[in-house]
Amino acid sequence: MQIFRIKRPALIAAVLAIAAVGLAFPGPVAAAPAQDQALRTVVIDPGHGGLESGAKGKFGNLEKDITLAVSLKLKALIEKDMGFEVVLTRDRDVDVSIENRSAIANNRKAGLFISIHANGSVQRKAGGSETFFLSLNATDEETRRLAYLENNSSALQSRIDPSSDSDLMMILWDMAQNAYIKQSSRLAELVQAELDAMLGTRNRGIKQAPFKILTGVACPAILVEAAFISNPDEEQKLASDAFQTKVAEAIFRGLALFLKRGE
Amino acid sequence: MATNKKGGISKPALILGGLTLVLLVLVIIFFTGGGGEKVKRFVDSNVPKTAETAGAKALTKTVTLFFIADDDLLHKETREITAGPTEADEAERALTELIRGSEEGLISPLPPGTKVRQVFIARDGLATVDFSRDIADSFSYGSTSELAAVYSVVNTLVFNFKPVKKVVLLVEGAERETLGGHVDLSRAFFPDYSLVAR
Repeated sequence: MQIFRIKRPALIAAVLAIAAVGLAFPGPVAAAPAQDQALRTVVIDPGHGGLESGAKGKFGNLEKDITLAVSLKLKALIEKDMGFEVVLTRDRDVDVSIENRSAIANNRKAGLFISIHANGSVQRKAGGSETFFLSLNATDEETRRLAYLENNSSALQSRIDPSSDSDLMMILWDMAQNAYIKQSSRLAELVQAELDAMLGTRNRGIKQAPFKILTGVACPAILVEAAFISNPDEEQKLASDAFQTKVAEAIFRGLALFLKRGE
Repeated sequence: MATNKKGGISKPALILGGLTLVLLVLVIIFFTGGGGEKVKRFVDSNVPKTAETAGAKALTKTVTLFFIADDDLLHKETREITAGPTEADEAERALTELIRGSEEGLISPLPPGTKVRQVFIARDGLATVDFSRDIADSFSYGSTSELAAVYSVVNTLVFNFKPVKKVVLLVEGAERETLGGHVDLSRAFFPDYSLVAR
């Protein structure tokens, strides 16, 4: 954060310079921002994977396996009924770093990003489903920069060249989600309502949290926590094909409503 | 002449005597003066503190810890810890108690066996807590348990120690992405009392 403070004027100047270049040469260089063009790609992120198995259930079920199963079902639903391209951040049991997951979303110019998880608590009775979007756990200094980003979000993608690896670009990408908080909260609301209607699990509502997977994604993004694998009853539900299908269908319906209402 | 002679003889003796006297005074000042200062400093800073600590008065401090209850929220529990000498020392003890667990049947959100390696409180209100690797490697977190682990630490520090405004978590002296794949540890945390029961 000290780096931010020192470099702030330089940072803003650089952003403006990049914006100016983008405006001056509106060719193929300046990619159209995600929200101004028709949605083409949805990125689904099956939580955890490989050595990182996520939360564990009493009966030995692993979060990483359930998230992958639900993600594959959701992918099939979207491809069948919506005709969007669906990209998975992993399609088998492998380790994928959090940075690489958001990089996949940004490089594929995702219009929506959905991270799928199953919850875990140290309190065995804890249960229910909830949907998260990113919280702005920011200092005053950061808040000012975020306000700047938010006001200029429509041009965010054109100003940030994903292939660049300079410190400035890394910092901007690191905060990419901050420009999409309102849309993400709307998406979370609609998906959570469907989870509540379809799963029969306790409605824990929509929440904000500083989740690493959401910070760098440059489009509306949510993290779904469908039931608790740490709760023996819910673990058995989560392990069943029927319940996994319901989770996928609930998310699919929430997505459909979000798109129908024009975000 | 006689006086001159007499003066001539007595002059070196006088100078010699004078020099000896000056030297003597300097030697006395050197030893007594320096020694006096040393004794004074010792009395000022060290002796009273030791006396106070030995005095068995104001030795403990009451801190509020945050544990998980049946409702899956963080609940407050008070605990006596040894006071002083610095707030960082007290913070370290409070976190050690948080790991040790509840005395009222609540659950600690931190994995047992985790050690607090160091707490550092900077002037700008940033507390940096360094945990042993057990905090990340000995438990498979879900979102809820990971949020509870992080915010039990952050809330405990900000709630009990006035100079602390925000908290950064390290593991084995190094920055870490997350404890278990969810909560971003790269930024400082402000307390979140929405996870605390009312």
